[in-house]
Amino acid sequence: MGDVLRTAGKWIGGFVALIVTLMVARAIAPTGSVTEQILDALLDTGYASAVLRVAVPVAFAAMGGIFAEKTGVINIGIEGFLILSALSSIVAVVGLTDAGVSPQMALWIGFLAGIVVSVGAAFVFAVFVVRFQSNQVIAGLAIWLISLGLAPFVSLVLFESVNSPSVGTFGTWAIPVLSEIPVLGSVLFDASPMVYLMLVSAPLCWYVLRSTQLGRYIRACGDNPRALDTAGVSVSRTRYKGILISGVLCGIGGAGFTLGQLGRFVGAGETSIGGRGFLGIVAYLFGNYNPIASVGGALLFASFDALQFRLQQIAALDVPQQLFQVLPFIVVILVLMFVGRTRIPAALGEHYDEEE
Amino acid sequence: MSQLKERLERLFGTLVRLSTGQRILVSLAAVIFAIGVGMVVILGAGYFATCDSPVLFILGAEFCYNPIEVSLVLFDGSFGGNFEIARTLRWTTLLLFTALSFAIPYKAGLFNIGAQGQFVLGSLGAAVGVIWAAAFVPGGAVGRLVLVPTGLLVGAAVGGLYGFLPGYLKVRFEMNEVVTTLLFNFIATAVAFVLVDRYFVDESIQGTQTEAIPDAAALNPQFFANSADFSLPVFVFALGIVAAAYWLLTRTTVGYELRAMGAQPKAAIFGGVNERFTTLFSMTTAGAIAGIGGALFVLMVLGRWQTGPPPLGFDGIAVSILAGNNPLGLLPSGLLFGALQSGGQAIQFQLGIPSELVGVLRGLIILLVATPELFRMMGQRLDRRGVIDIETGGSD
Repeated sequence: MGDVLRTAGKWIGGFVALIVTLMVARAIAPTGSVTEQILDALLDTGYASAVLRVAVPVAFAAMGGIFAEKTGVINIGIEGFLILSALSSIVAVVGLTDAGVSPQMALWIGFLAGIVVSVGAAFVFAVFVVRFQSNQVIAGLAIWLISLGLAPFVSLVLFESVNSPSVGTFGTWAIPVLSEIPVLGSVLFDASPMVYLMLVSAPLCWYVLRSTQLGRYIRACGDNPRALDTAGVSVSRTRYKGILISGVLCGIGGAGFTLGQLGRFVGAGETSIGGRGFLGIVAYLFGNYNPIASVGGALLFASFDALQFRLQQIAALDVPQQLFQVLPFIVVILVLMFVGRTRIPAALGEHYDEEE
Repeated sequence: MSQLKERLERLFGTLVRLSTGQRILVSLAAVIFAIGVGMVVILGAGYFATCDSPVLFILGAEFCYNPIEVSLVLFDGSFGGNFEIARTLRWTTLLLFTALSFAIPYKAGLFNIGAQGQFVLGSLGAAVGVIWAAAFVPGGAVGRLVLVPTGLLVGAAVGGLYGFLPGYLKVRFEMNEVVTTLLFNFIATAVAFVLVDRYFVDESIQGTQTEAIPDAAALNPQFFANSADFSLPVFVFALGIVAAAYWLLTRTTVGYELRAMGAQPKAAIFGGVNERFTTLFSMTTAGAIAGIGGALFVLMVLGRWQTGPPPLGFDGIAVSILAGNNPLGLLPSGLLFGALQSGGQAIQFQLGIPSELVGVLRGLIILLVATPELFRMMGQRLDRRGVIDIETGGSD
């Protein structure tokens, strides 16, 4: 526990130091300069809130990826689960609203529908890679490609456009008393329920993986499946569990992004998910398979994504929007270059034949 | 001694044949299975879609699309006439390049998911290259002799560089090529958009696109309908590249080392194969080939670069996997996906069924081909019931 606290201390210390540096720079910067405008945008609480909001899909994708990969299954299909969950949540909300269900109720049922569909897709994926021994990378890729075709197809059939109509979002929940705290309150305690869910899920996933029996089985399954098998625990069943948990988390990511932030499904190009699942994969590589650190990685990438909207409002900066959208991808590659190697589960990607 | 060798060779021969035969069976089964699922999807979509006049009634339920009619239109739209065949072959030609771009690194044990990005940047490079070079060369036949190779070379160079990068990241920083190539696709699309939008945009028309390439650089349709944007010599050129790749992989030392890395990395490294070289070589070659495909897309089909490139890079993965990543299998497999692409346009145009359906089929085929175990298990089950006899492979 001591090392955990020390790591947490380091991160928080680093973060505070960063904020202080920015504030000092803000104080020195000449009034009215572009630098000052940029620093103002960065030190705004609205920016911090945006970072948290934007991080949601990436963070959940990362946590989902960890659970699959810790059992020894590479899950490239994360992106596909997010897409399917995003679309089905919208379909459910539109259907329920038409049927006369109240908007808030429809949103929550739609959220659940997204998770259910994602878990269903994860189950199909699990059957293919665990029972039928598919090549995991190719099967995951196939899940993504199927979703990339199926989601716009369904949207076209139901809504006569690859983009769905807009529905509402969850909005923000202000927590009484706590949201009154200056600065921190408006960022951390007046946020979308999805942000709360993310902040709660990270330590929960960390705890489950580290300290519960299921977590121990999952870790053993990826590092030494034979040992797990010898101990009398089914490797297949553990992998099924890991992939299904992955499906739940990805479902939350896809539906949470769609109903918590965007309010619609966009099917054009790479869909509205647009690589957020892949960013999740990089986030857990960055976080070295630690859920909390991976959510930290997601927040880092989100800080670039959210920056784009802020910088666009500064007229003096001519920011190419498209380039900014992929800035997280570039940052990720640079960061991974210097962060160094991650410790990958030993039996990752290998099929395991159970002893009869 | 020589007798033993002969006998061993014969045994090996049968084994190799058997596995090739089985692989072809798996591929066929996967395609049939995927099309079957596709039909169910069409039926389901027809149930939910809204239309004025349903075409099919089953048990009182109304369906907007009739799967049999869809298959007929799909077939007719890909092989039904001169224009349709040309359109099919056009897609096949381009797919051969992106498929090779997946197949070659695969032989070296690497997953190149980045053909899409290499294709996009290669096509942009070719477009900009020929537009720029056109100022220095005369028109007509001389111009063609200079401009077409220029376009192909620039496409190959840009694509090759974009394939080299993930290879370098892998050998230098041990970054997984699946992740880097995936991300590189997104980066390529954005970079290409910004470059064209800022520097190469044709201001006379709306949209983000470059100027039209000079006439001398355009590979005009030959022997086939004009409107299909297909030139037969280009198809022959593509076949030549496939043959060259086959020769490279099976008849040269480099190819042997590449396959050794893919099959038994530890043994290969112990035997003196340079891992850095095989990784960089296969990824760069793959990128260059995808880049040439991109160049041909501009020179033969579009006549300029514009946003919203078709997902040929991802289709190429499907083509290669269906072909067992064997260059010789790419032709039938490429033809199938070319036909699906071509027929997909027909079902959208004639029946109003979204051509995204083809994307679903593509994914399903990849998934099923990656799962030979599924068919082996199904075969065993049938074997136990006495329906077929696995040992002789016959069914009676």
